[in-house]
Amino acid sequence: MVENEVRLLPDDDGSWRLEAYLRQGGYQAARKALTAMAPEAVVAEVCGAVIRGRGGAGFPAGRKWGFIPKDATRPKYLCVNADEGEPGTFKDRLILLRSPHALLEGMLIAAFGVGIRTAFIYLRGEYAGLAARLEEAIAEARAAGYLGPRVLGTEFGLDVVVHPGAGAYICGEETALLESVEGRRGQPRVKPPFPATVGLFRSPTVINNVETLAAVPGIIAHGASWFLGRGLPTDGGTRLFGVSGAVRRPGVYELAVGTPLRTIIEVHAGGPPVGRSIKAVVPGGLSAPILLPEELDVAMDVDSLAKAGSMLGSAGIVVIPDGTPMLDVLQVTARFYAHESCGKCTPCRIGTSWIFKTVDRIRSAGGGPEDLDLILRLADGIRGRTLCPFGEGAALPIRALVTKFRDELEQAVAR
Amino acid sequence: MSGMKRIGLTIDGSKVEAFEGTNVLRAAEQAGIAIPHFCYHPGLEVEGSCRMCLVEIEGLPKLELSCSTVVREGMVVRTATERVRQARRDVLEFLLAEHPLDCPICDKAGECRLQDYYDRYGPYAARMLEARERREKKAPIGRNLILDRERCVLCTRCVRFLRQVTKTGELGVFERGVRSEVGIFDGAPVDNAYSGNLVDICPVGAITAGDFRFKTRAWFLERKPSVCPHCGRGCAITVESIKGYPMANGTRRVFRITARENTAVNGFWICDLGRDGRHDIDDGRVTGLMKKGLPAPGLSWTKALAEVAAAVRAVPGPGRAAEIAVVLNSRMTCEELALAKGLFVASLGLSKVFFADRKPGDADGLLLTADRVPNGRGALAAGFAPRLPAPGELTSVRLLLMFGSQLTEDFAGETIVPALAAIPSRFLFAAHSGPLDRLADTVFPVAVPAEKSGAYINFEGIRQAFCRAVEPPPGVVPEGDIIAFLAHSLGLNPGDPDAC
Amino acid sequence: MTFTPSPAALERIEKTIALYPEKLAAILPVLHIIQESSGYIPRDAEAWVAVKLAVEPVRVREILSFYTMFRRAPGGKHTLRVCRNLSCSLAGAEDILDFIKDKLGIGPGETTPDGVIALVAVECLGNCDHAPCLQVNGVDRGPVTRETVAAIIEELKAHG
Repeated sequence: MVENEVRLLPDDDGSWRLEAYLRQGGYQAARKALTAMAPEAVVAEVCGAVIRGRGGAGFPAGRKWGFIPKDATRPKYLCVNADEGEPGTFKDRLILLRSPHALLEGMLIAAFGVGIRTAFIYLRGEYAGLAARLEEAIAEARAAGYLGPRVLGTEFGLDVVVHPGAGAYICGEETALLESVEGRRGQPRVKPPFPATVGLFRSPTVINNVETLAAVPGIIAHGASWFLGRGLPTDGGTRLFGVSGAVRRPGVYELAVGTPLRTIIEVHAGGPPVGRSIKAVVPGGLSAPILLPEELDVAMDVDSLAKAGSMLGSAGIVVIPDGTPMLDVLQVTARFYAHESCGKCTPCRIGTSWIFKTVDRIRSAGGGPEDLDLILRLADGIRGRTLCPFGEGAALPIRALVTKFRDELEQAVAR
Repeated sequence: MSGMKRIGLTIDGSKVEAFEGTNVLRAAEQAGIAIPHFCYHPGLEVEGSCRMCLVEIEGLPKLELSCSTVVREGMVVRTATERVRQARRDVLEFLLAEHPLDCPICDKAGECRLQDYYDRYGPYAARMLEARERREKKAPIGRNLILDRERCVLCTRCVRFLRQVTKTGELGVFERGVRSEVGIFDGAPVDNAYSGNLVDICPVGAITAGDFRFKTRAWFLERKPSVCPHCGRGCAITVESIKGYPMANGTRRVFRITARENTAVNGFWICDLGRDGRHDIDDGRVTGLMKKGLPAPGLSWTKALAEVAAAVRAVPGPGRAAEIAVVLNSRMTCEELALAKGLFVASLGLSKVFFADRKPGDADGLLLTADRVPNGRGALAAGFAPRLPAPGELTSVRLLLMFGSQLTEDFAGETIVPALAAIPSRFLFAAHSGPLDRLADTVFPVAVPAEKSGAYINFEGIRQAFCRAVEPPPGVVPEGDIIAFLAHSLGLNPGDPDAC
Repeated sequence: MTFTPSPAALERIEKTIALYPEKLAAILPVLHIIQESSGYIPRDAEAWVAVKLAVEPVRVREILSFYTMFRRAPGGKHTLRVCRNLSCSLAGAEDILDFIKDKLGIGPGETTPDGVIALVAVECLGNCDHAPCLQVNGVDRGPVTRETVAAIIEELKAHG
């Protein structure tokens, strides 16, 4: 547990309001940025903090901000990715509920750093119940001069619009998100061009995850080295690790980047219930290839998990207990990707459906090793060939399940 | 073009040059290397969804889309490695897994990219054991358009064409994932003058033409290039016809007119007016010599033309200018117009040389011009000032030679008919039957533009030469041959047909 | 029969459209407003929205069929969304779903004959530490048990 008292999430639900946020030092970072720093310095600080995107891709946020052309003539936009749909992930929900002002302050600082005047918060449709509080926080901030035409009495202004999604996981992919905001089907775009040059409404656009932005005030308030020091040199800060599944204390834990997975599960989340053991763990949301019990000492940072053949992703940890039929896990996984495929590109559109149809068949009517081999071949036909990372998100976890639990699956489907 | 920078790159070991801004797929195409693709079309914005055009680019870890990657100096591209071949096979396998085995009844057979690519990049042992998606197979989506949703590979060329080219956007993609399908809004079918291009650009048999459905097979069609004669633009077209097997003996039929690419004239598209022009080639034709509107099977061309020559000779020299009238048309080629000028104006000294053409309409802002003739500029270049005769100008005329059957169409009601009936000798040289037939002493069957070789000058001054694309029916000849023969009969030199 | 939104809905719709530099961008929030007001998206609302946003009506149908949260037919008065993804499935979501199917006599995607409850099986709702979870008219409930689900259903039926 991090001893430092600077935390992303207040413990309870009651202190989300502006008044409470201000008492904890809220909007001081924004004041510092807007009145005492140059925009370039803000970006440099965030770069120095090496904060890697907390949405799933892990791309350094400061570097992303740096891609926005300085001399852009078109208006620039900030899109907040609050489409949290990666199964096993629920951290952004908690930020929106308990610390919306941290998000708004982070947005304000980001917008100032890059020269953005309009921000859209893409709030997944299933989080419509959180919209009211978010709108209230925005209204509070506006009334107090932290949002609107002249923030903190400066020349800088920022407008925030909450934009609802309507039930499509793929809209969490940044270019699909842009398409969705523009009123189209949420289908990813060909890159290049990248959103930094041609983004929302063909204008330079920054897209950041909720948690990434909510961490920005801390970086500006306490400095890049402070943030970096709380994590690893290549992956700074603390992160909100969500733990669910077979653990005694499911929930979100704010811990240093690089904390070992086993520590998070057993020390913080209390480990599996009495009498149960861990069969497997999904470390970073469903799109992160599954890990076996002997692989749980991996450090939870972007690079370590990549090296271990998985990914940190959205840091959504799901603990699978002994006795869980992995065929069921395969079914849930295959069904999810088939259902959420946007359908634009051939390998994903047809591959995810074909895999699901195969899994469904062998689960109900039995099958053989050739079916599992086919699933692996199909996964290989998808990975590396698709328009967006959804392809890898579907193929790699399925591949890992079929490979790591091959014997069990063969037995389960044997006629 | 000359100001554009040339980029040097290597494709499959060969050094290649392409203009800056060209994508790798086009650059390869220009170098003679075909990269398979479904969704890419040079006339549409890049979509990047079919994934068939993936190639290896040195220095990049994943396969990259050749349709969206722009050439860079020193780029090294490989299109034929095992990795690329495997990727193509996989895309094909995915597409064919959800594709019905309709080839035996599908109109696209023989010109279908799935077939062609499987032939080239397959074969493989099919492994799809699951039930594929079942969808509507005969959805009418517009005039003469049928959509088979099972065959659709979701390349979205049709959707993009209607959004980007005609800007009418009648088609959309509904649902998502494997359930995705193309469709229209109820009561809002595809309804624009360029709908036929959808059939051309659909890479498979998903969108087919209603009037082509089950009529023939693509491999029977003889495809020849020509120039569309229905407006002033002169779009590049391909006339697709069959003569002989499997048609009944001796018959010929034009089954389709499709768009041909010409960057200077029409880009990639043609309008439906031009497409429907196949009826102009096949239907309502004058097939043999006619006397007073009735077939004259016993009459020979030589005898019939000799009558014309005799009628010309019967008018003494000085009187010809007042007493002989000729009506030409702007569907005649430059060569034919030059011959007409040479014979009728230069040699015979006629001044009553008129033009009867299709009336202009509205330009549609895309390809269709207001002018509805292909060689208006050609007529001007030949030295004519095309105009209709005023009925009064025909009062002293004793011999009228009409090339083309448009004359009555330009006059309200029957005002021209009495004027024509008053002329003692009338000869009509026409491709199509019409009300003028019974007014002519002899009707001579004449070729349509697709049956001729010659040149047109389009409304922008672009000269386009074309060769005969279909054989005329037996006994049907181009106007040029007739004028040349007449000149010869009269002992006159019609001049150089290439003078236009 | 042409669609007309209520004056309140129309006001919200126009305010929403004004928030975006391009009209089409307002389509998702506009459709949500209509669904909140009418309970679903009526057929003739599609053409109305198309005119309002100056786009072809096929665009509206594209959106309605791509995004899963829009109801295109009158649904139940109450909507039960049951998550069946990983964490919830580990916590017994399939059993909960079967229980609901038994109790209501309908399957996912269907509405009870009395029109009171519509059942939808969904993917991750982002509430995994409260698995198995569901949403009742968009309000998160979880963790649920057979008993608590039975109580929820009774409550909804009582409201009618």
